[in-house]
Amino acid sequence: MAKLKLLVNGELHEVEAPETALLLDALREGLGMTGTKRGCETSHCGACTVLLDGIAVHSCVVLAARCDGKQIATVEGLAQDGELNGLQRLFLKHGALQCGYCTPGMLMAATALLRRNPKPTLEEIKVGLDGNLCRCTGYTGIFEAIQACAVGSK
Amino acid sequence: MEIKLFRPHSLEEALSQRADYGRDALPIAGGQSLLVMLRNKLIDPKVLLDLEPLGELRDLQPRADGISIGAMTTFFDLISSADVHKASPILAEAAAKVGSTAIRNLGTIGGNLCHNEPGADLPPALLALNASVELRSRKGTRKVPLTEFFQGYFETAVEADEILSRVDIPTLPQGACGAYIKHSISPEDLAIAGVAVVLVPDGKNPVSARELRIGLGGVSPVPLRALKAEAALNGRALTDDAIRAAAEIAASEAEPMSDPHSSADYRRKMIKVLVRRALAAAIGGGERNGHGKA
Repeated sequence: MAKLKLLVNGELHEVEAPETALLLDALREGLGMTGTKRGCETSHCGACTVLLDGIAVHSCVVLAARCDGKQIATVEGLAQDGELNGLQRLFLKHGALQCGYCTPGMLMAATALLRRNPKPTLEEIKVGLDGNLCRCTGYTGIFEAIQACAVGSK
Repeated sequence: MEIKLFRPHSLEEALSQRADYGRDALPIAGGQSLLVMLRNKLIDPKVLLDLEPLGELRDLQPRADGISIGAMTTFFDLISSADVHKASPILAEAAAKVGSTAIRNLGTIGGNLCHNEPGADLPPALLALNASVELRSRKGTRKVPLTEFFQGYFETAVEADEILSRVDIPTLPQGACGAYIKHSISPEDLAIAGVAVVLVPDGKNPVSARELRIGLGGVSPVPLRALKAEAALNGRALTDDAIRAAAEIAASEAEPMSDPHSSADYRRKMIKVLVRRALAAAIGGGERNGHGKA
């Protein structure tokens, strides 16, 4: 076992985990932060997407030990003082979710995209979210929400 | 028993650990395939040898005779590098077609080659670019042409005490153009078939090939060059008939496998289609699904 220091959403946590623990397990089992979803566990579905130093990664294929000293952002960090952020509100407004299981991953992938490219075209949005599968709504509402967020951000 | 994680501070330290543990110490690059295999118990290492701390392996060096790429360079690095776009655009094109954004953010060129999974996108492009790899061990360094690197499904020339450190691509001939075209059910999948071409046209109409290289992926136990198809077109006018005939030859050079994604027969047919499309894209006419620069 190893003691890992993880900086999640600006807060430093210590977690004891196997040396080769995955970031997904360290977050969910180690820290009880279950906003990050366990999906396919083969890096296909993107339900476990988090940001590592600002870039989107699938936490099911990231060694937690590699995250020491890096900034981890999860869906729990999006809302501020109990208020959903702009992107989250737009997901609601555009009906960008049905069962909601893919939503944390979608939000984090979209957050990474908008940070890198505040005014993405629809094609760029599709590429930015190509690692995130939704199996119930289809993607139209999700793309609309992200486009609306891009327009709103000016 | 719990798997140990080594995070070496230098390549020398990593090579030492690799020499001590041999195949029990598995180098981990981006981890995008390896960690899935580990979870599914397809591999059983005693140690993961983490190459991430070795910053010297994540760099791109333009050189007089080409470009040298550190093994830990990610697909994202390749896509965003002006040097790669200039020296070997089809490598950037192939890297952009790997998996999904999250995978391209962490997956590496070295990991992609060492994993040697059928349908990987970089091998056909790197074969057409005449790339070679640098393998390091405590005993020394050897350079292996990519044509000799791939040895079987998931098998490569990397010995138990070696680590792939760099990928070297020679400067393209003047005027070279090229394309990488992939066929898959969904874009983020591995290629059912992938074809890369590098072509040096002679500037006539119809174009003749001064030099032509064709790399095939996903259609044989190992990625390969379609040498007979290349020979059939080299120095010849690239007429529709000549290209069609060469595409048939390329299909006969592959030994496709059947799997849940595709039958062997379908893969063979797709090679014919993709060789034609890749050549058309390289020349700049016809059906375009790539771009015109190698």
